[in-house]
Amino acid sequence: MKKLESNLKNMAVVLTVISVVAAGLLAWVNGVTKTAIDRINEQTVADGIKSVTIGDSDVEFTVAAPQEKNGFIFHKVSDAAGNTIGTAVESTDHNGFGGDLKVMVGFGPEGEILGYKVLQHSETPGLGAQADDWFRQASTDQAAQSGFASFLLGAPAKAGNHNIIGMNPGDDMLTVSKDGGEVDAITASTITSKAFLRAVNAAYKELFGYTAADGVSGASSQN
Amino acid sequence: MNCFKTLVNGIVKENPTFVLLLGMCPTLATTSSALNGMGMGVATMFVLICSNVFISLLKNVIPDGVRIPCYIVVIASFVTILQMLMQAYVPSLYQTLGIFIPLIVVNCIILGRAEAFAAKNNVLQSLCDGIGIGLGFTIALTLLGMVRELLGKGAFFGHQVLPESMNMLVFVLAPGAFITLGLLIALVNSIKNRKAE
Repeated sequence: MKKLESNLKNMAVVLTVISVVAAGLLAWVNGVTKTAIDRINEQTVADGIKSVTIGDSDVEFTVAAPQEKNGFIFHKVSDAAGNTIGTAVESTDHNGFGGDLKVMVGFGPEGEILGYKVLQHSETPGLGAQADDWFRQASTDQAAQSGFASFLLGAPAKAGNHNIIGMNPGDDMLTVSKDGGEVDAITASTITSKAFLRAVNAAYKELFGYTAADGVSGASSQN
Repeated sequence: MNCFKTLVNGIVKENPTFVLLLGMCPTLATTSSALNGMGMGVATMFVLICSNVFISLLKNVIPDGVRIPCYIVVIASFVTILQMLMQAYVPSLYQTLGIFIPLIVVNCIILGRAEAFAAKNNVLQSLCDGIGIGLGFTIALTLLGMVRELLGKGAFFGHQVLPESMNMLVFVLAPGAFITLGLLIALVNSIKNRKAE
């Protein structure tokens, strides 16, 4: 078969046909995978609510119907007797390194952080994408980083903290240490760390009305 | 040229990472661990094989004047399909690779092979080329990820094998990717030269 000539009619027809076929194919695949994707997203939210409020314990609990306010979604979690265990808040920051960073944070009745989970992100694999683990891990023992590693990276200035579980954004400065806060940023991922902490602070503020970082967050949100 | 030769050609002689030096952005960015590298390689291979086959099938129907837009539509469609499939069936890998999945569209290996190979050869040859180049890319990314993970985190495919005090974080970060890639290319070239002598 001879190659089609590049005249306007041929070009328009071929490109249109290919685009239409591609669109049809995509619509079909979308239809097939949509239910599975929706189920996974619902599952992620349901798992998230449990893990950020009651964690691994086997307490019986009920989740109230989600309430949406100013772009935040609240899930109130109570135990079997009806006492409030805490509230899981879905919060999104739009200035992550790769765009939107959506986290779910669980706050106890006093505002202490019970747990968190990164629901959706576009951060760099191996760097910003570590946010899901970083802010719950006990700090790496800086003294253990010795020999060649510290020669290559320089001695760490001070032993920092990046575990936010148990902290209370109302009393503690939940900003990165570079901004005068109490949390160490993920190594080489300051932008992700700031976005994450902004999302946490915003969720707390929506729930309780104020945060300790109010004075600083204005300055740090500019980058 | 037979099929097997095309396949080996893609893995060794025209290895996209070590010889052609194509697709450097995902290569450097996603290889912070062996599994990430491998996942990225397999995802790219899927798109490469599909686009090679289809472009080869359509090569006589597509007029030269609009070939690039047509190729991009074909490639972008397969990437979107892959993205939806991964989101539905391997959500954890989808989460890890994140932004680099949609960016496969602009991976120059895929458009490069479409233009340089699939547009000139028959379907079977293009299929073999897709598999060969895809495997070459996957092997290179896995190798790069393995070295970086071992030196940076002391782990082998996620299993801790070296004590934490021996970790050199720099290898997980961007500069480590360049250093490791450079050394691997040097190694591959030196093996090749020795063989040629």
